[in-house]
This record gives sequence, structure tokens and C-alpha cells, in this order.
Amino acid sequence: MKIFRFFISKIFLRKAILGVAMILLLFMANYTTFTAARSVLSTLQGYQETKYINQEGVYIANLDPHSPIDMDKVDRSGTQAVYDYLSSNFNYAFYTDGFMVSVPNADDMEISLGYMNEAYYTLNQFELLQGTDLDLDFDYQIGGEIPVLIGKGLSKTYPVGATITVEESALGRPLTLRVQGVLKSNANHSNFYALSSKTYYNFSILVPVNEEFINHANIDLQWNGLMDITILETTREEAAELGTVIEDNLGAKFNFFSQQENYDYFNEYYVHSLKVMAAITLVLLAIITCFSIWNGLVSVRLMLKDFTINLLIGLSYSKLRKVFYGYFGILSFINLMVISVFTASNRYGCWIRKDTTFVTYGLFGLIGMDWLALLVVVLLDAVIGIVIVESMLRKIKKVPISLGVLQ
Amino acid sequence: MPKIIDLKIREKIYKSKKSQLSILKNFNLEVNAGEKIAIVGESGVGKSSLLNIIGLLDRNYDGEYTLFGSQTDHLLTDELARWRNQRIGFVLQESALIDSLTIEDNIKLPFLYAGSEKERSRQAEDFETLISAIEIRLILKKKPIECSGGEKARAVFARGIIMNPQLILADEPTASLDVENRERIVALLFRMNKEFNTTIITVTHDLEVANRHDRVIHLERSK
Repeated sequence: MKIFRFFISKIFLRKAILGVAMILLLFMANYTTFTAARSVLSTLQGYQETKYINQEGVYIANLDPHSPIDMDKVDRSGTQAVYDYLSSNFNYAFYTDGFMVSVPNADDMEISLGYMNEAYYTLNQFELLQGTDLDLDFDYQIGGEIPVLIGKGLSKTYPVGATITVEESALGRPLTLRVQGVLKSNANHSNFYALSSKTYYNFSILVPVNEEFINHANIDLQWNGLMDITILETTREEAAELGTVIEDNLGAKFNFFSQQENYDYFNEYYVHSLKVMAAITLVLLAIITCFSIWNGLVSVRLMLKDFTINLLIGLSYSKLRKVFYGYFGILSFINLMVISVFTASNRYGCWIRKDTTFVTYGLFGLIGMDWLALLVVVLLDAVIGIVIVESMLRKIKKVPISLGVLQ
Repeated sequence: MPKIIDLKIREKIYKSKKSQLSILKNFNLEVNAGEKIAIVGESGVGKSSLLNIIGLLDRNYDGEYTLFGSQTDHLLTDELARWRNQRIGFVLQESALIDSLTIEDNIKLPFLYAGSEKERSRQAEDFETLISAIEIRLILKKKPIECSGGEKARAVFARGIIMNPQLILADEPTASLDVENRERIVALLFRMNKEFNTTIITVTHDLEVANRHDRVIHLERSK
């Protein structure tokens, strides 16, 4: 340890510019890798989460991006007609979220209301931290207490069994919600089309809706619900027929795609981008690694005399190797700390900005995906470290000690 | 006197992409403890290479080498480093100092690789005796760049002997010194030999210095 301390304080820190350059190079390599790894992990998580709807007979609505919508033509009777048709002809999964309400809570967050029907709830299999699953019978009276699932952030103020009164905008009147279960920390919803995009439920209330609820809801809930409506146990022809009904009643063209088609679309556009990103990342990494090796070799050239004098008077190559690995470990650790603090501060920023649907819980502010991406960075640093240290040692060994000391 | 060096070199080859140079062909050397030996010869004949082999800095040659009664080709690199730290002292030209360290830190550098705390405290006492003998107390806190050539040469000498080695290898220790400083370094070397029976092997171009050793070995270019 005293040898390591000596090299840090008396040799490396005396040429701090080389260390700073190495930290900057490593930071570029690490941050690029961290970002790429997190995108990939988030996408894989999205695949995992949407797997449940990738089955035969399931079609998901998608507003045609090329079809102009005249919102003046969209009215309550039109949306109701579509839901009447849906109820008569299909088994469908309904989900929509992002309806903000004020509910007093310990963290003073705005609360996002998410609405889901029984079919959606059954498909999703939400994991709970506390409480019990919602009864599969969603046949409650909307005038009474509605059992709901809440995010972890709300459970401090509203434990299981507590009631929450909200001025609910979809029905336009107060609702009494009873907490039946608390969702697992960082429960989230991945976008069907952009799998890496997430909405977190930590400060959400998931309200089960039945036909009565939808039929009493305002146009916002009905219209938004149609955006991701998922029809089950159907055929492409029946789905197309629904599209015609929607177009007739609302003047908007909806396409219906299977999740496999959504994946194909994702693969065609997003995965291609991910591949480009991965390729750029690899090229950048290769360039940065070359620069890092070059920096290491310049360091050797500038400190060759210092190293060889130490080798002359009792330092062995194996101890020098340990010193180099220790030094590189410190530089790598500094980088990991910077990336961790930066990421944690971004996550913490969501709390400060009260960004309800992005607020997350995690060890030191980092969620599982961040830790996994950091692990990838650690592995990368280990590889870069081995390459750099061994290159430096090779360079030192090439120079006879007796020449190096007189440099 | 016990024999501390028994070296038989069949050949030492330096290879480059274009050529190959063979030196020290069929060179044998036996040295007894307490001997003072000078190695002379024209440039490129292999004087420093021989010193590197004797000082365990180079094992890439064809031959056998017994040092302090042990076959050196069996020694691990950590063991070689320990011997260089504790049994062999290197006295080089005055530029062989670490510029970012003070003279004191440079001289004490071998302590870093020495054994126990107890041993180091004994060495600290030796250090006090040494700097008085070599008269470098006034420059201890200076950096090498602030010292004269003679002062640096004495600092290099002090570092080479601070561990009280059995064998001192001096490679052109007086090469760029004036007469006064040359005499001081030579006197210090011989004093070590006289007081501690330290074996001295000096590579030098200076025949006047060489002739003051017990034995002078003239190296000639291999045919």
C-alpha cells in the first residue's frame, strides 16, 4: 500500500495532466457506453413487458399519422357510438393514463390517474408490494368506493385500506377510491411502439373502469382510451371493420396492428437507429480506447525514468503492474462516481420538478437499469484497463533499466 | 575470501530488425568478496551490458551466473527485485535521480521496498550517518534541478549505498564530473570497500580511476 501511495502522490500526481486526460477519455468511453447500454436495456425491458399482447387475435389501435383529424368533428356521441360498437362486438383491453389530479400526499406530487378495464388488468399481471390484487369482477358501482392500485410513493400517505377522495375529471364529480394494493417500486408502462420509452407508476393511481364508468366518462377519457385500445380474440377483418366504425363516427382513421407488426415497425425504424447508435458507440469506443492507450504510452515515455529508477532499486515488474492497475482503478472509480452522481441528479431532478410519471426509487437514486448499465461500464473499463496497463508494461519492459534511469 | 560472483557468458546477442550484434563471447568472471574491480574498454564493447547482467537487470544471455552462492536463473522476478534492493547497490551517473522528488526522498527511495518497520527505523539511523559522511545535508530539501553535478552525483551515490549492499555496481559514476568531485566519489566508493568489505565493480572510461582498483578488466570487441 505504501508503494501505491508513493506512486500516486509522488509520481502520478506530479504529472496530473496525464491523469486528467485519461479521466476525460475514460469518461467519454464510459458515458457513451452507459447511455447505449441503458437504451438497450430499456428496450429489452419494453419487449419483455409487451410480450403479453403479442399473441394471435390481438390487434392494437394506432391513429394513422397521415390522416388529418378534425377535432371539431369528434364529439361525445361519436366516441360513445364507438364504445357501444366495441362493447357489442369485441372483448377489448382499455388503458389510458396521464389524467392529473391533486391528491394531498407526503411528497406533494401531482398524481396521475390511469384507467384500465378488466381485460387490460388481466393481461398485465401487476406485481404488488402490499395489499391484494383487484377482484376480477369489476362490477362495482361508480357511486360507491372504487378499489384501486396505487404507486409506492402514495403508500406513505395512503396505506392499504385507506380511502382517497378525488375530484375526478373524466366523470366530472368526486370519486371515492379505496386502496386495495400497492404496486411494486418503479412499476412502469412501456410504450407499445417506442419500447424504450417508460411511464412510471410511483405516483399514479390505477383506476379499474367498467362499462358503466366508460359510458359515463367525458370525451377526453373516451378519445384517449381509443388511442391504445387493444382488441382481443378477433380477426384482421373485424378489426378493420372497427376502424371503419371509428372513421364514420369520428372522422379519424385508425389502423389496427398486431404486436408483432408493432415489433416489426419498431425493428425497422427504432432498432435500426439502435444499431446505428451501437455502431457509432463501438467506433467511438475504439477511437477513445486508442487515444487512451496512446495517453498511457505517453505517460510511460514521460515517466520512464521514474519507473526504471524504482525498478533499479527494488521494485519488481509484478508490483509495478499492481500499481498501474490500482491507479487505473482509481481513475475508473472517479468516472463511475461522476456518471452515478450525474444520473442520480437527473433522476432526483424529476423529484424536484415534480415530474410525476418519471419519478423513480432506487439505491442512491439509481434504478436497476442504471446499475446494470454501470456494470456494463465496469466490464468495459476492466477490458480497457487490461489493454492499457499491459501496453504500458510492455513499453517499459522494452527499455533496459540501465538506459531508462538515464533518460 | 569467499567468491561472490561466478559468471560464465557464452554469448550475449542484441538483435534488431536489420542486424545482430554479439558481445561478451566466452567471457568468464570470478569475483571475491571485498574486491575492487574496474571494467574498461571502448564504447559498444559491452561494459554496461556486463554490469546489467551482474546487477540482475538482464537475464537474456547464454550462460550461467552464480551470485552470492545462488544460481540466478532460478530466481523469481520478485526475488531479483529484493536482491537489487538489499544486496546490490547501483551507483550511476548524476542524472539518475527522480526530478519530482527532493534529494532526501531520492536517497531514501530504497527504503520503500525494504522489509519491516523495525528494519526501516534502523535504516533511518544509517541515513543520518550517511548524509553526514557524504556532506549533503544542505541539499536534502532541494530538487535535483537545483543541485550541481557533484551534489547530484553524491546523492546518487548515497542512494546506491543506503541499504549497505554487499556489492556495488558503479556505471561511469564520474563521467561528467570535475576532478574535485570525481575524487570525492572515488574516495567514497573505496571507503565503503574498506569499512564494510563491500565488493566494488566499476565501469569507467577513466583509466586513472580504473588503475586504482585491485583488478582492471579490459573488454575487447568479440571477433
